[in-house]
Amino acid sequence: MARIKRFTPAQRLFHLLLMLFFLIQAATGLARLYSATNWGRFLVSFFGGSSKAFAIHWWVGLFMLALLAVHVLYVLLRIDWRRFPKSIYGPDSLLPRREDLGQALQHAGWLLGLRRPPRFDRWGYWEKFDYWAVFWGICILGGTGLVLYNPVFSSLYMPGWVLNVLLWVHRIEAVLAIVHVTTIHFFIGHLRRHNFPMDLVMFDGSIDLDKVRHERPAWVERLEQNGNLHGTLAGSTPIALSVVYYVFGFSVIAGFIYLLVNGLANITRLFG
Amino acid sequence: MTSLGKKWLLRDHAIGALFCCRQDHCHKNPDRWWCGIRLIIGLVWLALFLPGPAGSQTQATSKIIRYRERETSSRYYETYEAKPRPYPVFVRGGIPQRKAITLSPIAEKVRRRKYLADSHWGLKFYERLTCIKCHPQHARNLHKIRAKITCRQCHGEEPIAGLRHYYSKMKLRRRHAFVCAKCHEGANSSFATYVIHEPNPADMNTRESFPLLFYVFWMMAAIAVGTFAAFLPHAFIWGLREFLPDNFLSGLKKRFAGRRKPDGQN
Repeated sequence: MARIKRFTPAQRLFHLLLMLFFLIQAATGLARLYSATNWGRFLVSFFGGSSKAFAIHWWVGLFMLALLAVHVLYVLLRIDWRRFPKSIYGPDSLLPRREDLGQALQHAGWLLGLRRPPRFDRWGYWEKFDYWAVFWGICILGGTGLVLYNPVFSSLYMPGWVLNVLLWVHRIEAVLAIVHVTTIHFFIGHLRRHNFPMDLVMFDGSIDLDKVRHERPAWVERLEQNGNLHGTLAGSTPIALSVVYYVFGFSVIAGFIYLLVNGLANITRLFG
Repeated sequence: MTSLGKKWLLRDHAIGALFCCRQDHCHKNPDRWWCGIRLIIGLVWLALFLPGPAGSQTQATSKIIRYRERETSSRYYETYEAKPRPYPVFVRGGIPQRKAITLSPIAEKVRRRKYLADSHWGLKFYERLTCIKCHPQHARNLHKIRAKITCRQCHGEEPIAGLRHYYSKMKLRRRHAFVCAKCHEGANSSFATYVIHEPNPADMNTRESFPLLFYVFWMMAAIAVGTFAAFLPHAFIWGLREFLPDNFLSGLKKRFAGRRKPDGQN
């Protein structure tokens, strides 16, 4: 069963760190947000108290910003600068293209049974959206978080009441990110029939060739035409390693679902 | 001279030194004690009618319980309130002039109270009330939720001056120094503009009182709702579409087309 390389080890490491950091940030952030409720107090005590939960939130937030900086550096190094303007608009790039809008509309038509399925290339429009959503999210959450960390210092450069506004931006963006990852990202990544019970491509970096030929026919055809298909083939993952991936992946999913369910269950106590 | 005589002489000297002035009339007056008694009466008079030293003054709120003792011993601030002074307080900083739009009598009173040195002056049954009884909208704030800070730890003891009273600790020009800096070291006047009793950002009244918060909140909420409105149905229908067999829709079409055909022929 032939497999094809989809993610490099560096990209998998980025995703792994992002998962871990985001889970910790979600847990410590919700602990602070829900600290008026019993569940919030339990979460706070899990992290060893309010000040420790906040310290973890602050440090992991800094790690996430550092991760973003390293990722930007990585992207700059990966760009083919000799064919610069063209190279970043190609089908291997994650920049949005004009075709993505057409494919999104055609995909919506296929979902409703009106049109034929679109022939996706390497990246689907929903994957590009997820990628740029993380960029946007880390910039907004990291920026507001940095300002809110030391309000006394920040208020030297802005009126104190701006911090009220920034705190709400931080909260809503964080809730948006948590709910989006827990519902939409997990559903598309793991619960669809083709990926059930879990899509391991982000862990082992390779994907089954037949599956890709079915889901992303334009990519495979392009590789075959360029003669690159043979070079992108990869070996299969050992079963033991797959078990580790499954256990780890399901643990993270369970953690997010736990946070989402309890967050929704306690939302009335938050305002009441 | 006997030892007893020496003692009596010593006593006379001591009493004379303590209670007798050295003026001529005292030496001439045969009853030298009278001058000392007048001094004692004067001291008693002063003790009765002059205020005592600062440390001896406490705020008595009822006949049996003293407020400050209870506060310090129990750390329990909120269910027990001090009684405001029973006389009108001097207003500094001026009372705002009536605007063109007149307020209701009660609103006018509340607005004027912001300028009083004792903003709760003259309220009936004040000693029976708690802060959140009249200010429920101020009960939930980050100070209370995260740090269990009570009202009095910022707003101080009785009498609580109105926010706009010239010498109030809560007046914006000195709030950072007298209130915020107690915990937030280095707090400046800009920091003191943080709205700790934040209005509900979703509320329409916030559009008037804190417009930036209102508009930013709804902008972010629109982004969030827009994202979910687009991608939640998208994900759900996608899951359903893949779950159903590939020929499901075409099968349905054939089935219904097959049923209609004989009807059309008829």
